[in-house]
Amino acid sequence: MEQKEVLDELKTILVSRLKFDPRRAAETNESTALPKGVDGSIGLDSLDFIELSIAIEERFGIAMDENEDLTEHFASFETLSRFIAGKLPPA
Amino acid sequence: MKRVVITGLGAASPYGAGVVAYWKGLSAGVCAIRDLTLIETDGFRCRIGAEVAGTLAGSTRRTRADRLAIGAAGEALADAGLAARDRSTAALIVGAVGGGMLEAEAWYWRPTRDGARPRTLRAVLPSAHAEAVASRFGIGGPRHTVVTACSSGAVALAEAAELIADGVVDVALAGGVDAITRICFMGFNALKLLDPMPCRPFDRDRRGMSIGEGAGFMVLESEARARARRARVYATLAGHGMTTDAFHVTAPDPDGDGMVRAMRAALQLAGAAPREVQYANAHGTGTPQNDRIEARALARVFGEGGLLVSSSKSMIGHTMAAAGTLEAIATVLALEHGVVPPTANLVTPDPEVPFDCVAHASRAAQLTCAVSNSFGFGGQNVTLLFRRGVA
Repeated sequence: MEQKEVLDELKTILVSRLKFDPRRAAETNESTALPKGVDGSIGLDSLDFIELSIAIEERFGIAMDENEDLTEHFASFETLSRFIAGKLPPA
Repeated sequence: MKRVVITGLGAASPYGAGVVAYWKGLSAGVCAIRDLTLIETDGFRCRIGAEVAGTLAGSTRRTRADRLAIGAAGEALADAGLAARDRSTAALIVGAVGGGMLEAEAWYWRPTRDGARPRTLRAVLPSAHAEAVASRFGIGGPRHTVVTACSSGAVALAEAAELIADGVVDVALAGGVDAITRICFMGFNALKLLDPMPCRPFDRDRRGMSIGEGAGFMVLESEARARARRARVYATLAGHGMTTDAFHVTAPDPDGDGMVRAMRAALQLAGAAPREVQYANAHGTGTPQNDRIEARALARVFGEGGLLVSSSKSMIGHTMAAAGTLEAIATVLALEHGVVPPTANLVTPDPEVPFDCVAHASRAAQLTCAVSNSFGFGGQNVTLLFRRGVA
């Protein structure tokens, strides 16, 4: 799966699992930041990140190590989709 | 009142994932009660239970109980062929007791908190399972969590049936789930209700129960809706009865009055005569009190020897909030296959139990009508009455 496809799946998760307005999800782009409190971000809080992590693991069939600091990977759609794409088996 | 039929089944049982594995184990009389590995049992008289085998569904970030629930609920929805649009208005009723307690206990038992993140504690409440199932599968109708101890999974089915019969919803996903927890194991240990050997329901020498875990879910819908979409119908949930002993926090009423009233209420709602019922999947915990009183209650309602009786707990242990649903699934499959699953570990039948309890091996029997009993601690009694196919 290409990073672009991962990005589209993330937007789908945003709507189906985190209950974002589809229009708002459509307005995001690669550089949109994720965490609450960052300029221009979509405003995810700590519980959103847990829900997002679960959804990612179940959608992509990957495991993310809880003991690893994942903050940098969850900074934006760009960093997150790159992180996920890197964990996927080659097509 | 609308008629309620069963169109989907899902199970995560001590035999592993899926209804096929569940029925294969039950009908072969396989006892899945073994040494416990999920919790520490050093120093306890009883060290056995029935743990769910194999890989669980869902993310490892979820609690064990949530993963059991997602596996069984997903199977039931797929079995019924419910599309996203159907799910968006379906009711969701989940019987639960332990919630995410297994993980919460592990958190509180840590000697230090260094670097530990209490993430799993967010899913500790019994209502967490319904949240997990609803968000995973997009269930959008009314949502209840039922906590009535060991009958929770049966109450969930009865409540779903009422919502459909009353026309509140047309379709529901209902079931029960529990993972093994220390508090459950140690609580029953303290009450001296655990048999150190695999439990022996209806045996003269029975010494108590074995704990188990699992999840069971059913898709229930109005008969009209099932017909309109040409769904496969397993059985009709023709009647249910729910009563309370109001007698004691753990012991059942010695006369079994609450149990008798639950069974009679189910018969009445179904418009069934006692002689029509050919099989009872008993609550059958293996405790001296329950089995004696349940047998007496069954005899009062159906007459001595009036029907076949067996206890699935002899094979899968007492799966707590899942028991009412998993055993209802066993009852539905018994009707479907014309096979009564046995009571395992039954060597010396108790002379106080005036029924054929189908020892060791399953029995072929053309069944058209069967009941499933579930009696929660504190006298929370439920009887479900199923008829084969669309009755």
